[in-house]
Amino acid sequence: MPLTYKNIEPLIVSGKNNFSKWLGYFGLGIGVLLLFVSMQMFVNIGQLLRENSPRKSGGYDFISISKTITNENMGKDNSFTNADLIKLKEQPTIAEVAPLISNKFRVRGTAGDIIPFSTDLFLESIDNNFIDTVPATFTWQPGQTVVPIIFSSDFLEMYNVFAPAQGLPQLSAKTISSVNIILECSGPYGTQNFKGNIVALSDRINSLLVPKSFMNWSNLHFMEDTAVHASRVYIKTKDANDPKLISYLDQENYHLNKDKVKFSRIKSILQNIVRALGVFGILVIVLALMLFSFYLQLMIAKSKDNLRLLLTLGYSPKWLAKSVAKTWLPVYLIIIIAALILTEILHLLFMQFSFVKSANLSYLPDWSVWITAVFLFALTIFINLNLVRKELVKII
Amino acid sequence: MQIQLREVTPDNIEKEKRIVSQIWGLNVSINKGEHLHIVAPSGSGKTSLMHFIYGLRKDYSGSILYDNTDIKSVSIERFSTFRQNKISIIFQDLRLFENQTVRENIEIKRILDPCHQPEKIAEMAARLGIENKLNQLAKTCSYGEQQRVAIIRALMQPFDFLLLDEPYSHLDEANRKKAMELIYEECAKRGAAMVFADLKPLDFFKDEKIIYL
Repeated sequence: MPLTYKNIEPLIVSGKNNFSKWLGYFGLGIGVLLLFVSMQMFVNIGQLLRENSPRKSGGYDFISISKTITNENMGKDNSFTNADLIKLKEQPTIAEVAPLISNKFRVRGTAGDIIPFSTDLFLESIDNNFIDTVPATFTWQPGQTVVPIIFSSDFLEMYNVFAPAQGLPQLSAKTISSVNIILECSGPYGTQNFKGNIVALSDRINSLLVPKSFMNWSNLHFMEDTAVHASRVYIKTKDANDPKLISYLDQENYHLNKDKVKFSRIKSILQNIVRALGVFGILVIVLALMLFSFYLQLMIAKSKDNLRLLLTLGYSPKWLAKSVAKTWLPVYLIIIIAALILTEILHLLFMQFSFVKSANLSYLPDWSVWITAVFLFALTIFINLNLVRKELVKII
Repeated sequence: MQIQLREVTPDNIEKEKRIVSQIWGLNVSINKGEHLHIVAPSGSGKTSLMHFIYGLRKDYSGSILYDNTDIKSVSIERFSTFRQNKISIIFQDLRLFENQTVRENIEIKRILDPCHQPEKIAEMAARLGIENKLNQLAKTCSYGEQQRVAIIRALMQPFDFLLLDEPYSHLDEANRKKAMELIYEECAKRGAAMVFADLKPLDFFKDEKIIYL
C-alpha cells in the first residue's frame, strides 16, 4: 500500500478555528467569481458594442475635426493652414493627419433622365489610406472623362428619406453604382463635363470623395489655385477618447464630432467599471489567499513537533510538503469550478436580455476566463507548496 | 555500507575529555555487520555522537562519511532516504507520538519502507511483553513500555546500521535480555552493524569491541 496523506493525517493538527477557514473559502469564492464575471462581462461588452463603424480600423480611430466657428472668427478664413497641420502631426496622440481638400470651382450634378435631379455639389478628396473603402477603380488621370466617386452612406440614407416625397426613386447601395451622374465643372478658366461614377460607399467620411489627382488637376485647371484650404481634417489616433487628445483639441478650439466618439465613451466607461470590478476581485482573492496562508502557517506551527519527528524518522520533506499542500487542492478546485458554473449561469442570464440577442455571443465563457481559471488553480498550488516547503525547512 | 568518523570533535567539548576519548579527534570506521559498544559516563557526548552520525546535528569539526560521502554535504531530501532504509536509531529520549497509539507509532515507521508485514508488530510486541498495550496511547504507557515501543519501531525498517542510545535504561534485567535478543536477531537478519552507547559495559557485549568515549 503506497504511502498517502491519510497515514499522517492524524499527526497534522488542523486547528479549531473553523471560522477563519470558512471565511477564507467564502472570500476566495467571491473573489474568483468577481474576477471571472467581470472578465466575461468585459468581453461581452466589447463584443456587444463592437463598432462595425469603419471609423475604427487596424486599432486606430479616424475622426474628423474642424475649427470651431465662433462669433469672433465667423466670416474669416477658418481653414487649416500648413502650420496647423504640422502642429497636429507633432502631437504624440495623433498618428497621422490628412486634410479634406475641397473644390474651388463650381460643380453642378445631374443624374440624367432616370432621376430628374440636379443640384450644386461639393467634392472633396483625401489621402486614400484614410478612406474605409477604396476600390481599385478609384483613380483618375488627366484626359479621363469618368470620375470615380466615393459616396457617403449617410448621404444615401438621407436621400432615401426625402426621395419619395420629391417623387424620386429610392436607391439601394448596389443600384447607386449604376446611376450616371453628370458633373458640370466650371470656373473662370473653363468648363467641362465629366461622368461621375459611384464606385463605393463610405461609412467613415461624410462627403463626396473624388481621387486626389482629379481634385488637384481640376482646382488648377478651372481656378488656377493650388493652395491647400482644408476646412476639415481627419486625424488617425490610437484612441479618440484619450483625454490628452481631447484637451489638446479643446485648447486649440478644434471642433470634434462628439457623436462619433460617444459610443466609444460609453463602451470605455462600462469596460472601466467591469475592469474595476475585476481588480476588486483580484484584491479579494489576494486577501483570501493571505488568510489561507496564515491558516496553513498556523496549522504547521501547531503540528511542528509531529512534523519534525516525521522528518527525523525518515519522511521526505518533499513528500511531506506535497502531501500537506495537496489536502487543500480539492477545496480550491471546487471553488474555481463553482465560480465557473456561476459565471456561466450569469452569462446565460445576460444573454437573455433583448439587446444582447442580436449579438453573436458564445454560450460558453470566453477563453480568457478558462485560462484565468487554470492559472488561478496553478497559482494556488504553487503558493501552497512553496509556503509549506518554507515552513517545513524552518522546523528541520 | 561503511561509516567513517574522521577526527570528529564536538564544537563545545572540554579539552581533557577530548584527550582521553577513543573517538573524539580520531579516525574510527564502522563496517556493516560489526557490533560496537561505546561506553561513557553521562555528559561525555554519547547522545551527541549518535545525533552526529544520524545527521541531526552538525555542530562538530572533522567529518562523518557514509561510503566516502561527507554527510554534511548530503541534502535533507537524500538524508531522508538513508533514514528510510540504511540507518535506524533508538533515541535516548524515545521520541514517540504521544497522542498516537503504540501500534500507530510503530506503523508510521513500518509503512515508510515496509520490510515487515503488519503482523510483525504484534509478534514483536508479544516478545517484549507489550502486546496488550498496542491500542493504548503512547503517553499512557510507562517509560519502560515506551522504550520497548521505540525499539520495535527502530526494527520496522531495513537498515545497515542500528544506533542505540541507552536503549535499556528503564528496562529490568529480563526485559533487557528479551530486547537485546530481538535486536541481535534483527541485525543478524540484515547483516547490519550495531552501535550501542551506554553508561557501562553490558554483559551481552562481553566478547565485543568496547570503545570508551
